[in-house]
Amino acid sequence: MSHLGDRLSALVDGELDGAERDRAYAHLASCEQCRTEAAELRALKQRLRSLVSDAPAEAAMTRRLIAMTGPGGPLPARQRRLRPAARREIRRPGSRGLAGNAHRRRYLVLGTMSLVVGLGTAAFTVGGSGAAAPGPRITPPVEMYSVEHAITTGEVPFTGPSDRPSAGASAVGSDATEP
Amino acid sequence: MVAFGSLINRRRDARPWPRGGVWGGRPPGPALLLAALLAVAVPGVLVTACSGGQAGSGQDGSASSAATVGTAPPATARRPGSALAARLLTQAAQAAVLTTYQGEEIVSHWGTTGGTELVSDIWHVSGGRTVTRTLAAGTYTSSGPYLSADTDGQWPEGVLGVTTQLVRLLQAHYVVAYGGAGSADNRTAQVVEAWRDDGSLAARFWLDDATKLPLEREVFDPAAHVISEDVFINVRFEHQAPAAAPAAGPADPRAPWADPLPAPQLLTLRSYGWLVPPQLPDGLSLFTGAQTQAGTGTVVDLGYSDGLSVVSLFEQHGNLAAKLTGWQKITVAGHAIYAAEPDQRSLTWSSRGMVYTVMADAPAQTVAAVIGALPHDAPPGFWKRMSRGFSRMASWANPFR
Repeated sequence: MSHLGDRLSALVDGELDGAERDRAYAHLASCEQCRTEAAELRALKQRLRSLVSDAPAEAAMTRRLIAMTGPGGPLPARQRRLRPAARREIRRPGSRGLAGNAHRRRYLVLGTMSLVVGLGTAAFTVGGSGAAAPGPRITPPVEMYSVEHAITTGEVPFTGPSDRPSAGASAVGSDATEP
Repeated sequence: MVAFGSLINRRRDARPWPRGGVWGGRPPGPALLLAALLAVAVPGVLVTACSGGQAGSGQDGSASSAATVGTAPPATARRPGSALAARLLTQAAQAAVLTTYQGEEIVSHWGTTGGTELVSDIWHVSGGRTVTRTLAAGTYTSSGPYLSADTDGQWPEGVLGVTTQLVRLLQAHYVVAYGGAGSADNRTAQVVEAWRDDGSLAARFWLDDATKLPLEREVFDPAAHVISEDVFINVRFEHQAPAAAPAAGPADPRAPWADPLPAPQLLTLRSYGWLVPPQLPDGLSLFTGAQTQAGTGTVVDLGYSDGLSVVSLFEQHGNLAAKLTGWQKITVAGHAIYAAEPDQRSLTWSSRGMVYTVMADAPAQTVAAVIGALPHDAPPGFWKRMSRGFSRMASWANPFR
């Protein structure tokens, strides 16, 4: 069986007319390979369209990044820090006890601050999900809803992912967990 | 063209005449008035004639008056509604119920995340039920033969959105015009177009010339992008001895939907704690609905449409499950919600003890507006969120809990 080839792209672009279009659709109805290709082509075009719509924002970001590097002078020279060993060398004799206390205090303060920040972050994250309201826990039955939606729209029902495993590789195993 | 040029030149050369005879001239005579009138009218007529290909060839002449020049006036003025087009659509809605037919339907949707193709075999008996068998296509799953839930032929499925209710709404919200003769599925067809008030084309229907059965429909968003294309092919009618439909059962016998309820009856559901807005954004009005019993309680479906875009809002008391298999978290209109994969055509979220699920055949802008108009839980403030978080963490650490 010969497939649609270039005519598939023309069909997706709406460039086929009359009998040629009808023939293409007739082939599409019986050829899964061409249907899949048509779906992929539509997806590709849709992505391209969204890329075009996103382009102004990306261009603005690029301009800002370029502007950040443009007019500035050379980067300041890195200040080399003395290594701890070198610092120890210039310490005065007899000052070791005071410095040790200061270090301990510094570590204590840093530890306390880290604990507070960590707990705060954890509390903020945990507190983000909604309060558990009373009532059953529901996963919307998409296939059942799809049947009713088809009656409303006068179209054929679209099946959904909740009741049956999806054939789409990207969709399989994709779970969402409510925060 | 000589006459045209001379008229133009004559008009350019014509001097303004004072009303009160300030310049002492005479009022223009009838010949001069006629020349001026022709100079204004003839270029417009010629331009209209030259661009007539777009105007269509309406049998009642209404569609042919569409082509104009200059800034686009409202569609109601630019492209007047056509009685013939309205009559054809009404006949098509009746034909979809009363005609016995079978064929294959290819439905293409262009969603926010890509396109999807769906192919279905359809059998319909005059005045009776429809059997649909959806084939594997694109990213969709296959399913067995499905018996339409339409019991009295008033809500047929697989008729490209041409139902009596939707046609009525379409005529109320769009300018319906006759688009001339065309062809679809190797059959002569009558083309009917739906135009928005801003002058943009919203949809085009191909109706079988002999039976008026809808054969094809294209729907466009306001930016003139095709968002759905439904084609009915290999159509055979009763006299062509269609093959018998396969035995089929309802897609979900556990939850048969009640008969559709009219809008006034649906509005009374408010007193039972359901949210029933009479209108949704973008001119979508409540026109149908139904109820059913699911394992987790009563489900209410509310149908909104402007005749072309259709949104079903499903409501159920409760909360979303902690883990939603096959759903992906997305943001629409600034709200975090869940979209059913792979096509993200179903959207769900819960708010104040109610789970809302939206299924839409509508432009992405309309869907976003609808989502934004429905209730959502506001995100908690910083201190409330911290307090709730510490309380929860404390409850985890409590050994006496």
